[in-house]
Amino acid sequence: MEKKDQKKPALAVQNLTKHFSGVLAIDNLSLSITQGAITSIVGPNGSGKTTLINTLSGIFKPEQGTITVQGRTVPPLHPHDVWHHGITRTFQNTRLFEQMTVLDNVLVVLTKRSVIPSLLETKDDTHYDQAKQVLAATNLWEKRDQLAANLSYGQRKLLEIARSLATDADIYLFDEPFAGLFPKMVTVVFTILRSLKQEGKTVVLVEHDMDLIRKISDHVIVLDSGTLLAQGSPEQVLSEKSVVEAYLGQ
Amino acid sequence: MDVVFQIVANSIIAGSLYTLIASGFTLTYSTTKFFNITHGVMTAVGAYTVFFLGKILGMPLLLAIIVGVLFAGLLGWVLNYFIYQPLRKKNASQLSLLVASLGAFTAIQACISLAFSSQFQTISHTAVMQKTFSIVGASVTQIQLIIVASALISFVSLTFFLKKTRFGTAIRAVSDDEEVAKVIGINTDKVIGIAFFIASALAGLAGILIGFDSAIEPTMGLALLMKGVTASIVGGLTSIFGAVVGSFLVSFVENFGIFYTAGEWRDAIVFTLLIIFLMFRPNGIIRT
Amino acid sequence: MEYFLHLITLFAIYAILGLSLNLVVGYTGLLSATHAAFYGIGAYATALLLTVSGLNFFFAVFLGIILTSLIALSIGSVLSKFRDDYYALGSIGFCIITFSIFLNWQDLTRGPLGISGIPRPDIFGLSFSSSILFALLALIALGVTFLACRGIVRSSFGRVLKAIREDEGAIQVFGYRTHTYKLLVFVISAAMASVAGSLFATYVTYIDPSTFTILESVFILAIIILGGLANLRGSLIGALILILIPELLRFAGFPAEIAGQTRELVYGLMLLVLMLRRPQGLLGEYKL
Repeated sequence: MEKKDQKKPALAVQNLTKHFSGVLAIDNLSLSITQGAITSIVGPNGSGKTTLINTLSGIFKPEQGTITVQGRTVPPLHPHDVWHHGITRTFQNTRLFEQMTVLDNVLVVLTKRSVIPSLLETKDDTHYDQAKQVLAATNLWEKRDQLAANLSYGQRKLLEIARSLATDADIYLFDEPFAGLFPKMVTVVFTILRSLKQEGKTVVLVEHDMDLIRKISDHVIVLDSGTLLAQGSPEQVLSEKSVVEAYLGQ
Repeated sequence: MDVVFQIVANSIIAGSLYTLIASGFTLTYSTTKFFNITHGVMTAVGAYTVFFLGKILGMPLLLAIIVGVLFAGLLGWVLNYFIYQPLRKKNASQLSLLVASLGAFTAIQACISLAFSSQFQTISHTAVMQKTFSIVGASVTQIQLIIVASALISFVSLTFFLKKTRFGTAIRAVSDDEEVAKVIGINTDKVIGIAFFIASALAGLAGILIGFDSAIEPTMGLALLMKGVTASIVGGLTSIFGAVVGSFLVSFVENFGIFYTAGEWRDAIVFTLLIIFLMFRPNGIIRT
Repeated sequence: MEYFLHLITLFAIYAILGLSLNLVVGYTGLLSATHAAFYGIGAYATALLLTVSGLNFFFAVFLGIILTSLIALSIGSVLSKFRDDYYALGSIGFCIITFSIFLNWQDLTRGPLGISGIPRPDIFGLSFSSSILFALLALIALGVTFLACRGIVRSSFGRVLKAIREDEGAIQVFGYRTHTYKLLVFVISAAMASVAGSLFATYVTYIDPSTFTILESVFILAIIILGGLANLRGSLIGALILILIPELLRFAGFPAEIAGQTRELVYGLMLLVLMLRRPQGLLGEYKL
């Protein structure tokens, strides 16, 4: 794989292991995510997809194993480190800043990270323009002054995507971005993913919908019980017998 | 050497009082998952009810004590029914429940001050049960023995109640998961109401016993509450047994602490213990 | 006129306390009950520096701020480890410990006797002994505090504080070290409370520990919850209303002690009713 790509993987994990109250969620997992491509992670419920995303974004600490970002091995990540490594994410169950406006939900990730400079930083037109751009891309600009808590389910999903776009990261981890969206919104997310790929960004999706996966992914990784079951191009992987069985056996 | 025995005796007496407060606090916390500040003022409610009925109206002491305990329990039930239950129904956060109970605490304490003045008082005209015994060099009064006995009886009966009765099973179901408990047909509002009654009655009893042992003042509740809460947290906030262990740890640290410093530092010692536990063992010392 | 100026001065002091606490409770979502402690540390530091060393007023205020900030830094770094109700509980613990120090470190604070004969400010030969000049000084301090708070909440820093309040885990993923943010806002808020303490000490010229109890923290909480969390103008309105209530009671002919207790009764009930009926207060932009 790696020789063929000639490129360093954007993200890689080696021998990753993680338990939850005695249950093995990720079992000695090694895999790599190709730079500048859209990779979908699929697998039955409980196969370790979200655990993997949470470990990659520093929310869970792995008990064992290493994480490599852009070819460099990184120490166990804290949540506030991942942004510095150019990683951003969305959450399976949206985690917005509920009692803040839609605009503020985006502006908040655009500002200075260290405390004293952020204390001195006030209104900034570039931030405003950047926020406008991502909110326009997700059709939320009209809603900018509403509280996030008042958005519909689909709009909440889109706002989370807008928030992660605003960070201008290199690697995007999207946990079920399509779940529960109306067809029109699915198209919006589709367009966003395609343009991210065009810009050379790396996208990782956790997704269930096989049609969407076929349409959008360059690579598919199949997890089962915390181990790697299969990986490769969508056509190849989704026709593999073991994959079909894992899904039917669910 | 005698001093050590006396400190041990004092610790056991204080620990028994904290047991009465902490086991009730643990009971309501495990069912409702919020820090009920009003629990503390129930000590003053119980004590001042006895003060009013016994000392001012001249009711027989035993009857006044029974009424005092029941009244504190009833007030706890009422507060839950009219304040905490509606807030929980509105899915109010733990913090807003805490603030509401802080408000109720302040208001009830102010009412007691308004009615009976904010001075220190004795709970009855005559000193009762002050006969002193000497046990391995430590001097203990009759009322202090009653305090220890009350804690023991309430611990045993509460444990029996929770382990062996249907109500106990219901309480444990509500503590595990209120929604699931509802689904399997438990009237969770009723169960929580009874938990509040028992908890407040025990706190009221503690306040009354303190009144007979030393003196009462309207603001007696806060320090007692914080010690009860500390004991509950030390004990893990889930089991009555934990609350008892926590209560005795608190009382021993407190009483040996003031022996090495001075009496006026007792509150500071206990709250330092609280903060140490919050930092290093927020789940307490008892694992369940 | 004197009376009117007295009310203005009191209003300014409590408005400073409210504004600064609102940064922590309303904007950052941390239910802190330690505020009275910082208010007290500022008051004691100023009082001692002025009575013992006869320092210049501004210099004394400045040293008070430094001392309070250092203490807030250490208390805050412990509290930053906690969340929600555990945070509230820890902050109550710290408030009681500080009160205990005011009361019992008699060599320094003179304990319950308090410190009397605190001189009114004397700045460049201009003495603030007249009520009108002192009220003016207090209002200037309030104005500066208000502008500082407004600057903070309108900055990027302020927006991150709100995000911490809403979902600390989520904002961390975007590269913010939330502990540092929480700690800094806590220290800033404490420093402002210290200024209020300095003003109070030099205004009444006598302080004792009884002003800086946990009930004072509850009172300041009541100010900002009534006025509205995460709204600065709300804190001004809250302070105004809660300063006027006991004065109205006095006008209605209640004696001073009763008026004080009635004040506690009123704001206790008010917290309760607000949580039940209008948790966002009058102008609030955030519900606990």
